[in-house]
This record gives sequence, C-alpha cells and structure tokens, in this order.
Amino acid sequence: MMNPNINEKDKRRIRDIVQDFARKHSLWVLAYGTGCGAIEIPPTMTSRYDAERFGIRGSATPRQADVLLITGYLATKTLKRVIRTYEQMQAPKYVIGFGSCTINGGMYWDSYNTINALDRYLPVDVYINGCMPRPESVIQGFIKLQSLIAEGKADGADKYQENLEWYRENQKKIIHNWKMPDYNW
Amino acid sequence: MLDKDCNENKCAEQIKKTFQTAEVEVKREKRVTVQLRSDLIPPFLSFAKEFMEFKHLSHMSCVDWVEDNELELVFILWNYEQQVQIIAKTRIERVNAQFVSVKKFWNQAETYEREFHEMYGVNFVGNDRLGEFILEDWEGVPPMLRDFDSIKYSKETFYQRPGREDAQNVRATIAKHSGEEVPGFAKDYTIRNIED
Ligand code: SF4
Repeated sequence: MMNPNINEKDKRRIRDIVQDFARKHSLWVLAYGTGCGAIEIPPTMTSRYDAERFGIRGSATPRQADVLLITGYLATKTLKRVIRTYEQMQAPKYVIGFGSCTINGGMYWDSYNTINALDRYLPVDVYINGCMPRPESVIQGFIKLQSLIAEGKADGADKYQENLEWYRENQKKIIHNWKMPDYNW
Repeated sequence: MLDKDCNENKCAEQIKKTFQTAEVEVKREKRVTVQLRSDLIPPFLSFAKEFMEFKHLSHMSCVDWVEDNELELVFILWNYEQQVQIIAKTRIERVNAQFVSVKKFWNQAETYEREFHEMYGVNFVGNDRLGEFILEDWEGVPPMLRDFDSIKYSKETFYQRPGREDAQNVRATIAKHSGEEVPGFAKDYTIRNIED
C-alpha cells in the first residue's frame, strides 16, 4: 500500500532515484576517439584498470550509448560529426570532456582548426583535466559522473534542449556549411 | 669519407652531365641534393625514374620562403639498388603558385599535390582532383602559408577561455633560473611573449 502522505512531486523523485541508481551502474560509452587522449581508453577498459567494475562499457553505436566521451582536441570538421552523433543519442545521455584540449584548447589553443572550449558547443557534464589524463583520473571522472547522476544533477541533455538556440548559434559560427538533419529527441 | 667512385658520386656525375644548370651536391653517404629550375623538374623526374632507376617517390614537401616571395617544392626519390636518395628542390612563384602535376610519374604524387593545393594554394596543372581535401569549408588564406596568422585567426574564430593571461613562458623562466644565455636568433622563437 502506498503511503498517502507522499505527494505527487515526491513520488516522482522516488521513481527517479530508482532509475538513476540503475542508470549510474550501466554507463555505455560510445567508442569515438577524437584526440590523442583516446590512447588511454584501452588500458582503462581492459584488465589492468578494468572499468567494467563500475559498469562502464563500450558501445557500438550512438543510439545504444549513454556517454559521449570526447577524448581531446576537436577539429571543426570533427565537431560537426560529434554534434550529429550527440543528437542521435537517446536520452538519458551525458558528455564527458577529456583532457585540457576540451577545456581551454590545451596545447592546440592557437591552432586554426581546433575548438578551444567544448562546453560552448555541447553540454559537458564532467571535465577530466590532464594532458592526457591517466586511467585513474578517467575512472575518477566517471565516478563523479555517477554521483551526479545519482543526485539527478547530470542534466546536460535537458540544458541542451532548453538552450538549443544558444548552442546552435555557437555551432553555426564555426561550421559554415550547416547541412544537418534536425533530430527530434 | 666517401669513395671517389661510390654510388652517390656516380649519380651526381650523371645528373650533372645531363642537366647542366643543376646544382648537385653529395651531402653525405646515401644523400644527394639537386637544385633545379622549375621547368626542368618533370624531365628530371622522368630521367631519374627511367634511366637512373629511382623508382620510388618517398616524399614531396613544400616550404614557404616568404622572405624571397617564393615557394620551394621538394621531391625525395629513392633508388633501391644503389641505396641512394635524391632530394630535388625547385622554387616557384609564391603568388598564384602554379606547377605541373607529376602524377604521371608516380600516382601517389596526386595526394601530396592535393595537400599542397589546400595548405599552400599551389595549383597543379594536370591534377583533376584538386578539390577540398582535409579541411572543410575553408575560406581565405591557405593555413600553412607563413603569412597566415594562426593565433589571430584562433582568437577571432574560437571562444578563448580566460586563464592563460598569467601563463609563464616556460623556456624563458628556466633560462632565467639557470642564468642560461639564449642566443639572439633563438630568442625569436623560444623566448617570445605569449602575447605577440
Ligand atoms: S589534452 Fe593533451 S593528450 Fe588530450 S588531446 Fe589535447 S594534446 Fe592530446
């Protein structure tokens, strides 16, 4: 019998807590290596550091993935593909920015074709700094993401939807030839 | 020291005999450099390939000599039998740079030419695939030319996250700590302020 003292709002929260608990223990990461940092992913996933202990696994396609891991610098050309990939992913979805390049451009800050701040173009839930971050810090970043999910604070995808215009404006500023399908999500 | 009639010297002699205006130099073991007029490059490559057995084009590159208002094209050839490398260089005009395609000698030259077209703006006559290659929707000065200002472009195009203003020049700081003398010519590119 349901406790009659719990109101509508709280009921939703209980459902969310259960959902988020399940979500945080099964993070499927899209295997899409962008910068040099991707080289730290194999040791993270394989037996030495064994990220599967935390429910972190690779997934083959964007539609099956929960986490988009941006492993380093993004050329404007790659950014276009990454945006497309991100928009194809099904909610709930999260973005992790991996390495200094995603934060402030890292050592490619003065390059003519790499972006300098990923969060201007995609909603980043967690940043992991380092050039490149070792598997320990990668796993630490994932644990941070898990705790954000558990608290219901990993809401980057909602923010993206709400502020789509702002993101689109930034994206179109550097991607001149915008020929992309409109996804409904 | 190289033998008088080693493979390197023999190659150099043969080139000198055939192309009298060429400046040929045996740099060291296995390495010969040839400086040529730009219109002599196709006959030279053909000669090297057909008569001197330089079957392999291992590399092509482009150098921007903005001070001389010229671009330099470099062709690196390799001879498997004699184990000799030829580095053939030529200079072309920098504005409206144009050159003949050497695709007919080596097919792989096509890819290099596409790259030079995109990165340096060189037009290779005879190469029909000089479209967009690595960059996407690039407009303006080809980015590998030295008068393209990458920092300025990046600052104008991409959002710059604040926080780099107080970044130290690592090289200068280390030199100051250790009292190291950095020669004047090296200062230009090692100890320069991040602002300029
Ligand atoms: S942060 Fe460092 S390791 Fe990562 S992509 Fe940038 S340069 Fe490469």
